Parts: sequence; C-alpha cells; structure tokens
Amino acid sequence: MCSITKEVVFDAISTVIDPEVGFNLVEMGLIYDAIIDENCNVHVIMTLSTQGCPLHQMITTWVKEAVERIEDVGEVEVEVVWEPAWNISMAHDNVKQALGGM
Amino acid sequence: MKAISSDFAPPLKLISPFFSAGVIFYLLSMLALLFFEPTFSYAQMNVAGWIHLFLLGFVMMIIFGAMAQLIPVVLEAGHAVVDVYYVIFPLLLVGASLMVAGFWLMPGILPYGGLLVLVAMIIFAVENVATLRKTTIRTLTIKTVAWSNGYLLLGILTGFAIALGLSGDLGINVPLMLKAHVYAVLGGYVVLTIIGLSLILIPMFSLAHGFEETAINRAFKLVITGVGIVFAGALFAQEWLMYIGYALNMLGVFFYIWQIYIIARLTVRKEMDIWAKSMIFAFGTLIVSIVLGLVYFMSGKESILHASVWFILLGFIASMITGHLYKIVPFLVWFERFAPLVGKEKVPMLHEMYSKEGASMMFWFTASGVVLGGLGLLFESDMLFKGGASFLFAGAIFLFITMRKMLAYGK
Repeated sequence: MCSITKEVVFDAISTVIDPEVGFNLVEMGLIYDAIIDENCNVHVIMTLSTQGCPLHQMITTWVKEAVERIEDVGEVEVEVVWEPAWNISMAHDNVKQALGGM
Repeated sequence: MKAISSDFAPPLKLISPFFSAGVIFYLLSMLALLFFEPTFSYAQMNVAGWIHLFLLGFVMMIIFGAMAQLIPVVLEAGHAVVDVYYVIFPLLLVGASLMVAGFWLMPGILPYGGLLVLVAMIIFAVENVATLRKTTIRTLTIKTVAWSNGYLLLGILTGFAIALGLSGDLGINVPLMLKAHVYAVLGGYVVLTIIGLSLILIPMFSLAHGFEETAINRAFKLVITGVGIVFAGALFAQEWLMYIGYALNMLGVFFYIWQIYIIARLTVRKEMDIWAKSMIFAFGTLIVSIVLGLVYFMSGKESILHASVWFILLGFIASMITGHLYKIVPFLVWFERFAPLVGKEKVPMLHEMYSKEGASMMFWFTASGVVLGGLGLLFESDMLFKGGASFLFAGAIFLFITMRKMLAYGK
C-alpha cells in the first residue's frame, strides 16, 4: 500500500514557480489531478496558461522532477491536457488578487 | 498534445545581436530626427534614408530576431536551418547601413546595400517557407506568416528595382514603384506580421482566454487582400484600384482593433507594467493614425498624412516592439542562464530582470516625444517637432541602457 497522498504530490509541485507570473503552479490552478497507484507511481494531469507556452517542456520536466523528489515515489508521468482550458477562476484567491482579477 | 516548442529554441547568442543592433539603430534614428524639419516630401533622399534607418535597422532587425525565437512557438516545429540567422544578421546590418549611407551621402552605393538586404531577406523568407513545410498545422496565424513572407519578397524586389532606378541603372517609374514597395513592406510584411504575432503574444502575456476570433479572421483577410490590391494598383498605375485597397486595409485594421478590444475585456492581468502601458499607447496611437488618415483622404493636406504616418511608425509599431522587448528579452536571458538552475538554487522572476524605473523613463519620454512630434508635424511647428525629437532621443537612451542591462543580467 502506498503512503503518498495527493496532498503530498501537490505540495511537491508547489515548489515549481512560473517565472513569468511569479506564482507556483498549484496556486495558479494549473495542476488538475494527481493519480497515485498502489506502487506509488504518480500520474500528474496538468495544463498550462497558454497553448503556445515556450516553457512547455521545461515546466513539465520541473513538475516531474519535483514529484520524483518525494520519498519512495515510483514512476512519475506528467500529462498536459487542454480540456478543460485554464482560466483565472481556477487560480487561488491570492493569485486572482495579485493579478488584479478580484 | 501540443508539440513542445522549447526543444527548438535557438540560442541567445544567435538572437541577441539582432536585438542589440536593432536598439542601436533605434537610438540613431531618434538622434537623426533632431536634424529634420517638420515639413518635407517623401521623395527627399534624406527622408528615405531615415525611413530605412528606422524600418530596416530597427523594425526589421528586431522582427527578424523575434521571428527566430517565435517561429517555432507559432509553428510548433523547429527551424529548417536555424544557423542561417548567423548569416542573415551581418548581411542585414551591413546592407541597412550601406543603404542609409547611400541615401544620405552616396547614392551610388545604394544598389550594393540593397543587394545585401535582398539576399538577407531572401534567406529569411526561404528559411521561413522551409520551416512552414515542416508543420501540418494550418492556423490563420501560420497562413499569415506565409502571406507576409510573400509580400516581403515582393517588397524587396521592388525596393531593389528602385535602388537601381535611383542610381541610373534601370529605367523605371520610381514614384509608382515606391508606392508598391512601401505598401508591400509596411502593410504586407510589417503590419501583417505584427497583427499575427500580437494575436499570439497579447493573450499570452495578458492571460486572456476563450475569446472569439471572428474579427481577427476578417482583419487578416482584409489586410492581405487590401495590400495585394494596392500593390497591383501601384504597379499598373491604377489609382482607383489603390483606393479600394486602402479602404479594405482600413476596414481590416478596424477589425484588428475590435479583436484587441475583445481580448482586452477578457484580460486577467490588470497590472500596469511597461508592457501593458506600451500596448495601450500603441493602440491609442494606431487609432489616432487611422483618424488622421481618414481626414487626409478627405482634405488632401500633406501635413495630416505626415502626422498619420508618424503615429503609426513611432507610436504603434515602435511601441509594440519596445513593449514586447521587455517581455521577450528577459525570457530569452532567463531561459539561457537560469532555467537550468531551477530547483537547484533561487532564480529570478522575469520582471526582476529589468529596471522598472529605467523602463518607465523610456516609456514616458517616448510617449511624450511621439505626441509632441506628431503635433509638430500636424501644425508644421519646428519647435514642437524638435521638442518631440528630443524627448524621443532621451527615451531611446533609456531603452538602450535597460536593454544592455537585461542582456547582461546574470552573465
């Protein structure tokens, strides 16, 4: 039985900062889900704020590396999806406030 | 899933010379303005020299550097041969310099400068077409890149014919060819490229999502058709045809502004950084330019046309470019020097990589200069025009200093 929880995975990903806006990916609302199987393999489902993002590959690599730093984690996969498309309502309140969306 | 564009990102050392040289040409253009009068004719050699210093040295130089970076982002495919940009840069640098010197000092060297620029632009356009063939995606922006490159080639060929005509080597109708040349390059390449790229970049930086694209589709089609009609009208001396083209272009730009308004309403980021201020100023001056253009068509008064062209060149085009430099250059530097350090040590945010005060000074000096200079042209006032030129030169110095610091950040 795996002891890694979704919260632990989200905490690990929250160390990854988007250098353009200055917020971490979790508070931006870019991480949609983290599926953890019984062997502690983690499948992260995420999106990006824009489809043409030139940092696409780097950001997914950073997410993978951040999750791989969790103790006893198995294989890590990061999947980028475009549905549902990201919008500001998915971000945490502090992000909305800082960007001027509230 | 979308393809991954960062795989195809060209190195900073390939792109940065375009930005450095472009900003130096901008500085020189603003310095040169101090020696101009507010009354002139576009046929004057010194005016043509300034136009080429600004458009080739600054606008084209920066657009080429930006395209080296942005083509893979837009097309989601790597460059066919990215190393050609190492060849394009010196050709454009020397070619533009020779052309300006030719207009100002020695008309005899114009064809040589023109030839170097022609070769640089043919290499650029051919590489772009080869890269376009690598992608199966056919968005409107990609079609626009293809059309704009076609117009660029037409513009350069007509420009080269003018250079030969001016040096006495080719018997052509220079004024007509000049209209075809200006329209193909300015409308067909510069404006189409700016419209296409801004549709990608403005929503990206403002985090605007889920907007309708009907207006921009119409804008692209109208501008592409309008430029073609004006070009044909100028080439075959059919003025009525040119007026149809002008009308289509104005309508196209109207739809473009409408699209930007739709995007602006959905903008998530409300912070007034240098980019946001520059965009507001750019679109404000674009509207002023269009209104003045309409008044010119009704009144025929030359000074109104001069002010309209001023606002589109120094207001819209220059602000679109300088505003985006404060987004693109920090990103390129960050990508090269700091991205590999993520997760290992603290890395700067992009907005920390330039001086806010320096950028702000650049913006306010430039905006004041554009307004004053435009009024100087409109009212044919030497004092207002020279005042505007002085402000613009001061703004250019701040742009130069902030750019140097951005490019040196973390070195």
